[in-house]
Amino acid sequence: MSMNRRRLIQTASAGGLLAASGLAAPALAQGARIRIGYVSPQSGPLAAFSEADQFVIDAFAAATGDTFEVIVKDSQSNPNRAADVAQELIIDDAVSMILVASTPETTNPVATVAESEGIPVLSTTAPWQPWFIGQQGNPTDPGSWRPFDYAFHYFWGLEDVIAVFAAMWDQFDTNGQVGGLFPNDGDGNAWGDPVNGLPPAMSERGYTIVDPGRYQNLTDDFTAQINAFKAANAEILTGVVIPPDFTTFWNQAKQQGFNPKAASIGKAILFPQSLEALGESGHNLSSEVWWTPTHPFSSSLTGQSAAEMAAAFTQATGRPWTQPIGFVHSLFEMAADVMGRVDDADDPDAVAEAIAATELETIVGRIAFDGAGLPPFAATNVAKTPLVGGQWRLNDGVWDLVVVDNSTAPQIPTGGRMQPL
Amino acid sequence: MSAPAYTVRTGTRASRLFGWGLLALLVALVAAPLWADRGMIQDLFFILTMLVLAQFWNLLAGYGGLISIGQQAFVGLGAYAMFGAVIVWGVNPVPAILLGGVAAVLLAIPTAFFAFRLVGAYFAIGTWVIADMARLIVSQWQVVGGGTGTSLPREARADMWGVETIAALFDMRAAAARDVLAYWLALALAIATVAGIYALLRSRQGLALAAVRDNVEAAGAVGVDAKRMRWSIFLVAAFGTGICGALIFLQNARIAPDAAFSVVDWMAYVIFIVVIGGIGRIEGPIVGVLVFFVLQSTLSQFGAWYLMALGLLAITVMLIAPRGLWGVISDRTGLQLFPIQRRLYGGRIAKETP
Repeated sequence: MSMNRRRLIQTASAGGLLAASGLAAPALAQGARIRIGYVSPQSGPLAAFSEADQFVIDAFAAATGDTFEVIVKDSQSNPNRAADVAQELIIDDAVSMILVASTPETTNPVATVAESEGIPVLSTTAPWQPWFIGQQGNPTDPGSWRPFDYAFHYFWGLEDVIAVFAAMWDQFDTNGQVGGLFPNDGDGNAWGDPVNGLPPAMSERGYTIVDPGRYQNLTDDFTAQINAFKAANAEILTGVVIPPDFTTFWNQAKQQGFNPKAASIGKAILFPQSLEALGESGHNLSSEVWWTPTHPFSSSLTGQSAAEMAAAFTQATGRPWTQPIGFVHSLFEMAADVMGRVDDADDPDAVAEAIAATELETIVGRIAFDGAGLPPFAATNVAKTPLVGGQWRLNDGVWDLVVVDNSTAPQIPTGGRMQPL
Repeated sequence: MSAPAYTVRTGTRASRLFGWGLLALLVALVAAPLWADRGMIQDLFFILTMLVLAQFWNLLAGYGGLISIGQQAFVGLGAYAMFGAVIVWGVNPVPAILLGGVAAVLLAIPTAFFAFRLVGAYFAIGTWVIADMARLIVSQWQVVGGGTGTSLPREARADMWGVETIAALFDMRAAAARDVLAYWLALALAIATVAGIYALLRSRQGLALAAVRDNVEAAGAVGVDAKRMRWSIFLVAAFGTGICGALIFLQNARIAPDAAFSVVDWMAYVIFIVVIGGIGRIEGPIVGVLVFFVLQSTLSQFGAWYLMALGLLAITVMLIAPRGLWGVISDRTGLQLFPIQRRLYGGRIAKETP
């Protein structure tokens, strides 16, 4: 019953979102408005990433008046569907540019379609390796990798998550044995890659990753992994896990007596809802942190600081802030900036050139496709944003994400030190 | 001795009229790039590929009595074989589609070997299990991206046979020309499928197949080799389904195991189409796919509600009209567009029916 009601609300709000985006600006100069497509997972298992979509699009419409018409599409957390809606945006809606966010399962199909159709696409909220390498024909052969003409992406990469996790673990003594939990999906294959992933990079930093191999998402028995970690006497746990799987794993680990000193998990514990599902055993779990209200950045569109934006979100929706707010907002900052620098929004080559020339201070930091911190093959299409490490703390029944390590991005203030589990 | 006073015919006046109409429709469909825009070409591609999948499942379930719910194995493997041939061996994507069909047959042989030992519901579950195993094994194939999936390499997309000619012919962009190419291939496949199945059903083998479907023991008693019949249609259906899968993902240009082996996209929808249209008739999947397309284009934005509505409609049709929409039409009017029934005319035995 409650499931039905939730579905109903989700569907209704998705419908409301569509209506709102269509009516966001008065149709003064219908023909002159620049049409922008936006694809995100508004329903299905990834829906938490899109919680702030409506809030961000409303703010964008308020800031830009009726310059833009945003056409919103729901990927339903399904890669087939994401590719379909991208084609609809290009062929039926004739958009000048596509924005896409949240996980390789959403960004990659959309970017592939847009690149193949020759329509500029800006993508974020997926580590850049699964985005760039995952779209190459043969991901195992770097010689065959080619840059894209119309697809651009900004976020952090595996090298950042490696540095952040290692720096957090360095804050106290362990035996250096790390259990690695990597699924057979876009993120898991990239993180667990024996050449470019966590295992080789961590061994350079003095940590040995015990990798029992790829498992399938939505597994209900992690005994094999837990036994492997216990056999190796792992004191640290890491991985990139979808939220329901981490809840299963963590409960089974507790039952079977696997109690690491630190657990740094990507993707699974980004949202307070996931911590609520774990209860008290989630206290001091650590994760990568890409945006918080304490990030010292402000929006080029609204002038709000990160703290002001998070507060405005909570005021508008009654919900706590989440990390995607900043990144979804930054996509629209980028769109406004890029379109402000082209004469003809319908010239894909000019728009792509303008994206490549971007240099913008956004709510998530500076974005410029100058290749800083990137290998040459990705320099044209990828820009990096800062990454720090944080721990979830349960204070008086409220979950708080505290930044505990900023050695990779010192401009972002910390709120405490790493604590053992 | 004089000629017999009666003749055996399968054609009816309606079917002959329909034949001419069909010919006109096919001419219009071949010429679609002249009158349809890109969105419509893509819609037609979708309709044609779903029609092919539905026809092959109808052949299995409606005529062969083989209720497989593992056909997504052949869609996925066909698509992956095409991607693998393009990425690993540098084969041009268009001929690589045929390899998709071959790979599907290679999987179908062991599948049939094991699954044919099972009967009824056990056969259905068995095929599903095998399809899921195929998905898990393909997820380990790192050259095509493992569980991440991969995109068709840009060079392969650019060098696809015929794309340049089509682009020059209709003065369109390469991306649009690729759609036209995929559409024509789908049209050719759909025509070959429907014509092939129709020819099969009108032949001696078709009669044998109907006998096997109705009663295996009785068919065996009159000398039909039931085992051989089932083997051959299972392999034929796998080949066609594999080619269709390769074609679908050629047009998609991106593949991932969950997408290629999707039980909802390639099995649940296909069963829906056949059940709605009318199982055990060639016209059934044609009617079903048109109904399904209309429902999808009007209701799919409602997410989960849309899927529930599809399920509800399928249940309603099964209860009220178990032979599908075409069954209702055909029972009321006696209309048969692809007649396979042999009728006796003339002589003292029967009068021609209208």
